[in-house]
Formats: sequence, structure tokens, C-alpha cells
Amino acid sequence: MRPSLRPTALALLVSAAVTGSLCLWAVAAAPASVRTPVSWGAGASALLLCVAVALTVHARITARTLRALRTADAERFTAEISRLVSTSAAEAQRFTADTARIKAAAATETSRVTAEAAEHVARVTAEADAEQARLTAENARLTERARRSETERSAAVAACANAAGRMQALATGMLADLREMEHRHTAEDVLGDLLHLDHRTAQAGRLADSIAVLTGARSGRRWAKPIVMESILRGAMGRIGGYQRIRLHSTSDVAIAGHAAEGVMHALAELLDNAANFSPPTAEVHVYVEEVPAGIVITVEDSGLVMSDVQLRRAERAVAARDQDLTGLSGTRLGLAVVGRLARKHGLTVSFRPSARGGTGALMMLPHELISRGALLPAVPAPAAAERPEPEPVHASARSRDAGPGQGDPAPDTREEGTARPGSAPDSASETTGSVPRFGESGLPKRRRGRTLAAAEARNGNAAPGGADSPRPRTTDPKVQAARFSTFSQAVRANTPHPEGNTR
Amino acid sequence: MTSAPRPRPGRDDAPDRLYTLTGGRSRSGSDAFDLVTLVVAECDPAPGMQSEHAAILRMCERPTAVVEISATLNLPVGIVRIMLCDLLDTGRISARHPRTARVADRLPDTDTLEQVLVGLRNL
Repeated sequence: MRPSLRPTALALLVSAAVTGSLCLWAVAAAPASVRTPVSWGAGASALLLCVAVALTVHARITARTLRALRTADAERFTAEISRLVSTSAAEAQRFTADTARIKAAAATETSRVTAEAAEHVARVTAEADAEQARLTAENARLTERARRSETERSAAVAACANAAGRMQALATGMLADLREMEHRHTAEDVLGDLLHLDHRTAQAGRLADSIAVLTGARSGRRWAKPIVMESILRGAMGRIGGYQRIRLHSTSDVAIAGHAAEGVMHALAELLDNAANFSPPTAEVHVYVEEVPAGIVITVEDSGLVMSDVQLRRAERAVAARDQDLTGLSGTRLGLAVVGRLARKHGLTVSFRPSARGGTGALMMLPHELISRGALLPAVPAPAAAERPEPEPVHASARSRDAGPGQGDPAPDTREEGTARPGSAPDSASETTGSVPRFGESGLPKRRRGRTLAAAEARNGNAAPGGADSPRPRTTDPKVQAARFSTFSQAVRANTPHPEGNTR
Repeated sequence: MTSAPRPRPGRDDAPDRLYTLTGGRSRSGSDAFDLVTLVVAECDPAPGMQSEHAAILRMCERPTAVVEISATLNLPVGIVRIMLCDLLDTGRISARHPRTARVADRLPDTDTLEQVLVGLRNL
């Protein structure tokens, strides 16, 4: 990098030689006296001159070298700059070109995508339209199907209700026939067979009743008179398979109004059937009747499986009479649904609880509206009917005379005791009919319900036509006779509104 | 006889079936009762009894024939007989057979019959 030292050394050598020779000459030429100072001065100046020349030469060479270097560098930089400028210009041009190209490509792409999107939108819209049309058609089809199945359902329900009604009528008629035969045939074998058939028919009748209740048909029978509790319990019991396991504990003498008696019996039969079916085949089912301020509670207690809380709640929901549609039917278990329907119809309250006997207890509460008190009926061979004295003509007239319109059976029956007594055998009649106070277990006189009122009415009734002891005076007034006859016929008709087997 | 108080054939007025009265039995298994056996109650009806039993006890305060009970209760004789057997087993009634001797006593003697025969021939 540095310029070589050769020119400097050369200049130094030349100047050294020149000055040396000059110095030698000067020393030789000079007088001896001044020779020594001259030699020293000449030598120093020669040395200084040599150094100065060498330095000068070196400086000139260095300056020239540096100038050349600078010039070369400047040229190099210029070339470099121009190269860079041209490169960047080319680059810029390329960039511009690229930009334009990309822009063009983007524009193409955009238009393509736009076109594609438009096409897609059109396709999707078309598809949606098609789908909507299809769905509309489907909807119409389903609506049609739903309507048809609704029609089919109601037709099927109506057919079931109709068939159930006819089965009820058949069963009722058959039961009446069987009772007739049971009275006619005295042989024990025949009676046993008839009772067997009777039992089967009663169960079939209950099934028909259940279907009728579920399909909303009218309930099977209307009893024209109140039915005493004992008959209600036995009627319910007779409709289930395991009736021999039922034990009745009832001292209640209330009666259930005729219009509700069938429903109560049916509901009770279903509860009894449940209890009998869900307890061991030898276990007894106990039925208790209890009079409470709110009405009457019939308790059915079995000693079978204990229902869990969930099952109890499910059972209560089944009888809670909320959902009355048929969707909750399980197909095999109709009983509780039937009970629920009947409970709603007659205002019964049914609840379940664990039983003290280890099984389940079902409680059915009958409200006051269904209970007619003090109705001592000739329904089952009740005492009043059973002990009627044999001579009867007074009875017939008493019934026709006293039975007013709107009065059912019970009133005439209790009343005729009062009117019939004086005529025939006062002693036995007063003892057996019990119109004179009878003595209970406690030794105190016992009075029957409704007896006082009936006696009072009987007295009033007797006071008008004449003394109680006088025989009945024959009225000759045709109007009075006609009125009596009409009340008589009304009373009779009130008992027999359904000549054909009591259905509906 | 049994159908006297029945309102009409082909219609039953009681909802309880006959087999429920006897617990399903159809034969009494004893021949203590025939149609004319006289029945006498030995005790008063107690509360809680089956109403038919109570009715029988009230009715039989004086001797009553089986067939009469059957007619009054409007029940077949077979059923009544079973219930009477139950009552007899529990000692609530006693049964007496009508004495044939007294029936024979009531028959007119042969003299009277001969006189009637003679009178008839003379007609």
C-alpha cells in the first residue's frame, strides 16, 4: 500500500553522495585551522540536507500515491453509484411491471370470484326454493296425514266406545239372566256352575266398563236408587278375580247416590284388583270404611309390595285426573287411568300411602254430594224390606198414597212402617220393624237415622184423611183418584227408567 | 214363590252378586237344612255382621222355614242354605225339623173320613 521506499532511498543516496563529496571538498579546501569546525558544520548541514531531500522526496511520492488512490476511489465510487442507480431504476421498473401484472391478476380473480359467487348464490337460491317447495308439499302431506289419523283415531275411539257400550249391555243382560237362572235352578251343581259363569261375566263387564270409561262413553249402569255401602263394597268385590281374598270391615249404613254408585263401584273394583294382583296370592286384602267430616273414606290395604316414593307419586299422578288423554296409557295397566277418570267425574279423591300391613294402602274419599244418608233401602234384602209382614194390601195402598213425585224409594219404605203398623199385628210388627226404639248393645234405646222425620211425616200424612187407627177411607172423588194414580205411576216409573237391562 | 217381590225378570236391582254373599261357595256341605227346616235365632244381630245374616237373625226370632227365608230375602235356596250353615256353625241359630207326629195329629181320623165318604156317595 505504501509506495515503495526505493525512490526515497535513491534520493537519500544521491543527496548523501553529493553532499559528502561537497563536504570532503570543503574540508580539503578549508584551512587547517578551520578544518574541524568546517567539517562538523559541513557534515551537519549535509546530513540535514540529506534528510530534507529524503523527506521531500518521500512526501512528494506519498502525495502522488494518495492522489492516485483518491482518484481511483472516486472513480470506483462513481461507477458503483451509477451501477446502483441503474440497478434501482431497473428494479423500480420491474416492480412497476409486477404491480401492474398483479393488479391485472387480482382484477381477473375478483371478477372470476364474483361471477362464481353470483352463480353460487343463484344455485343456492334455486335450491332453497326447491327445498321450500318440497317442505311445503311435505307439510301439506303431513297435515293431511295428521288430519286423517285424527279422523281414524276418533273413529276408532267411537267404535271402541260403541262396542264397549254394547258389551256392557250384553254383560248386564247376561248377569240378569244368570241371576234369574240362579233362582230357578236349585241343584247345587248347577248353582255352582252358574255362580262361576256369573263371576266370569262380571269380570268381563268390568273390562267393558273400563273401556267405556277410557273411551269417554257413558258409564254402564244407572242405579235408580241409592245403593247401601255394603252392596257397593260387595259389588266392587264381585267384579275382580281374587274376590275371595277381600275382607270387608264396614259397619257404615250410608248409601251412595244412584247416579254415582256405578262409578264408585267401578273405581273401587279397580283399586281392589290392583291390591289383589300386587300382593301374594294367598294374602288378604282388607277394606275399611270410615266416616269422616268431609265424607267417607274407603281404605284398601294389601300386604304386598311396598311401593317406593317414585311409584307412589306415579300412581298418584295417574289418578290425579290431570291429563285425560290416552297418550299415557301403557296398554296393560288400565286400572289407575280408569280410576283417575272416574275420580274426576265424581269428585273422588284417591291417594296412596304405605300400609301398616306392610303393603300399600289406597284411600278413596267420597264427598258428601255422593252420599245419601238414612236411606234404608230394600236394595239388598235390607232389614226393612226383609221383615215386611205378610198381609200386603195395606202396603200397596200406602205406597200409592204416600209416594209423591220426586220422592224415591226410601221415603215410602220408611213411611209405610208407620201406616201399616196399626192395621196388622201391632206386637210383632213393632218388634221386628224396629219403629219402636230397639235396644243396642249398651242397653240404651237406639234410634235409626231418619226414623223420626219419617214418623213425623207419616203422622202428618195420616192426620189429614182421618185418625191413624181408622181404616183407609175410600175416596170417591175421581179427581183425587186420578191424582193418586198418576203419582203411583210416577213412582213406579222412577224405579224403572231402563227396561232393557238397565244400561245407560 | 221366590219371584214374588221381584219387579221384573231380566233385570236385577242389586249390584252385589250372589257369589260374594257366600265367599264363592256354592254347596253347603251339610244336609242340616231342607226346604221346610224351621230356623230359630239364638242371638241378636251384632253390628258389622253381613246384612243378610242380620236379616235372618231378625226374621228368625220366631221359627221360620228355610223356604220362607229364601223367599223373603229374595235369594236362591242354595245360597240361603250356605248362609244358614255358617250361622249354625257359629251357634247363632238352631234348626228344627218339623215333627211329622204333629202333622199326623192334625190329619182327620178314619171315622171322619168314612163319614165324608158316605156323605159324598149320598150326594
